Amino acid sequence: MKPILSIQGISKKYGFIQALKDVSFDVPEGSVYGILGPNGSGKTTLLGIVLDVLLASGGTYQWFGGMRPEDARKQIGSLLETPNFYHYLSAYDNLEITAGIRGKGLDDRIAVLKQVGLFERRDSKFLTYSLGMKQRLAIGAALLGKPKVLVLDEPTNGLDPAGIAEIRELIKKLNKEGYTIIIASHLLDEVEKVCTHVAILKKGNLLVQGPVDVVLSNEDHIEVRAADMEALKAVLEEMPGVKKIRLADNTVGVLCEAYIRPEDVNSYCFNKGIVLSHLVLKKQSLESKFIELTK
Amino acid sequence: MIELLRIEWLKLKQYRTFWVLMGLFMIVLPLWNYGFSAGLLKFGGGKKGVNFLTSAYTFPEVWGHLGFWASYFIMFLSFLMIIINTNEFTFRTNRQNVIDGWSRLQFFHGKVMLVVAMSALATIYLFVLGLLFGWANSGSLNGAMTDIYKVGYFFILSLNYLGFGLFLAIWIRKSGLAIGLFLMYSLFLEHLCYGIINRFTVKPYGNLLPLQSSDELLPLPWATMAKSLLPVESTLSMSTYVLGTMIWCLVYYLAGRTMLQKRDW
Repeated sequence: MKPILSIQGISKKYGFIQALKDVSFDVPEGSVYGILGPNGSGKTTLLGIVLDVLLASGGTYQWFGGMRPEDARKQIGSLLETPNFYHYLSAYDNLEITAGIRGKGLDDRIAVLKQVGLFERRDSKFLTYSLGMKQRLAIGAALLGKPKVLVLDEPTNGLDPAGIAEIRELIKKLNKEGYTIIIASHLLDEVEKVCTHVAILKKGNLLVQGPVDVVLSNEDHIEVRAADMEALKAVLEEMPGVKKIRLADNTVGVLCEAYIRPEDVNSYCFNKGIVLSHLVLKKQSLESKFIELTK
Repeated sequence: MIELLRIEWLKLKQYRTFWVLMGLFMIVLPLWNYGFSAGLLKFGGGKKGVNFLTSAYTFPEVWGHLGFWASYFIMFLSFLMIIINTNEFTFRTNRQNVIDGWSRLQFFHGKVMLVVAMSALATIYLFVLGLLFGWANSGSLNGAMTDIYKVGYFFILSLNYLGFGLFLAIWIRKSGLAIGLFLMYSLFLEHLCYGIINRFTVKPYGNLLPLQSSDELLPLPWATMAKSLLPVESTLSMSTYVLGTMIWCLVYYLAGRTMLQKRDW
């Protein structure tokens, strides 16, 4: 199956600053693809390039296996960086322009406004909107005409907690309906809850990419505590299959080979005369992975 | 192309600045000319001032006079063109248009279509005003079609002025700066430049500078008379000025197109 978006060796320089360096990955159809990175890591630059508002210094990209970029964009609902609308026009009239450019009808304009909670304010001018409302309109505009793909750059910017939860539910729902969703964010919590794939960027370098479970696999660790922490640490350092021991916050973190289970640690320690008071298998969160990778 | 223009119209039809500047152009241009035709505006001022122009609004002179003044008032529409375009950059709606599925070129061609459409509207308006003034002052439409080509000159002059505005807007991207530069160039710098060039050339090639090449098509009417009384100096033909204007319009088009294609938005 052809990927929805294929990025090959994209680089971008702003003067002396290398904003992106040889970034390549594919976005499979039907995925929720999270592009993660701290502020200034190049997420928006990358999306700007694949949406043709920025020019790459090197590399290529293809939508839908090589469709003409402007035709592809008509089938992609995008929100890039900030909501950009004609400030003297209402939500209603702004969407008419969006639909016109996409070459789509206006049948779903009301439905979209209701979906993002702006129906009551549809006739107010854009400049009277709060940041959250502007963001909602941008999401609404992206949904207009039922595109196959959504590109959302920090979609929860400016939204209140209820709004953030709504967007998360919306993304899940749309993904179930078959939309492919590319989402850039530094809010890992949000991304972790919805993404099937991730690419992590740091200072323009692609650190890791792939399905979430692959990126995060083999990275589980076991947390243990006992009365004598130093003895516990010493014993575990001797244990076969243990790769790394970390003593912090009165807890020993054990990073070990995949075949070692918590019960193995328990019985090993017991045989060495140490009784554990605490034993937890910690799945690595995207957040800790992210911090580990980007620090 | 018509679809591009339709979307430009959606952008403009509720934009107050658009209507105010269009309105100023449409109201002040006939008022100003009425001032001359009715003898309210005179050279020298006051009740003793000389009125050269009371007979200037009969056919066929009306085309030259209206055209000359309109070549000043068209600046309102140049400013409008600058504001419309710099707004797109300021509010980043140009980006949104591309993200939503226009190519960069389509965005540009929408604006080019707007230049052509606004020039056509201004020209039609000038034609109607000319008929009204001429008819009111001549008492009939006799001779109305003599010198009617000057209306055509006004069309290409409009293309030049609006195209120059579009070019400046794309180049500078900031409305205040672009309008300031437009005024500085059109009122002072260009005159300085063609004065200098013409001093050193046999023929007045300095007149072929961007805006001047069109201004030469619709000169100050009594200056033409005055010139004909002076010793003959070599001049350029009208067709040279028409060609010059066309070439400048092509330069604006290519420059604007290249800048938009080669730049980050």
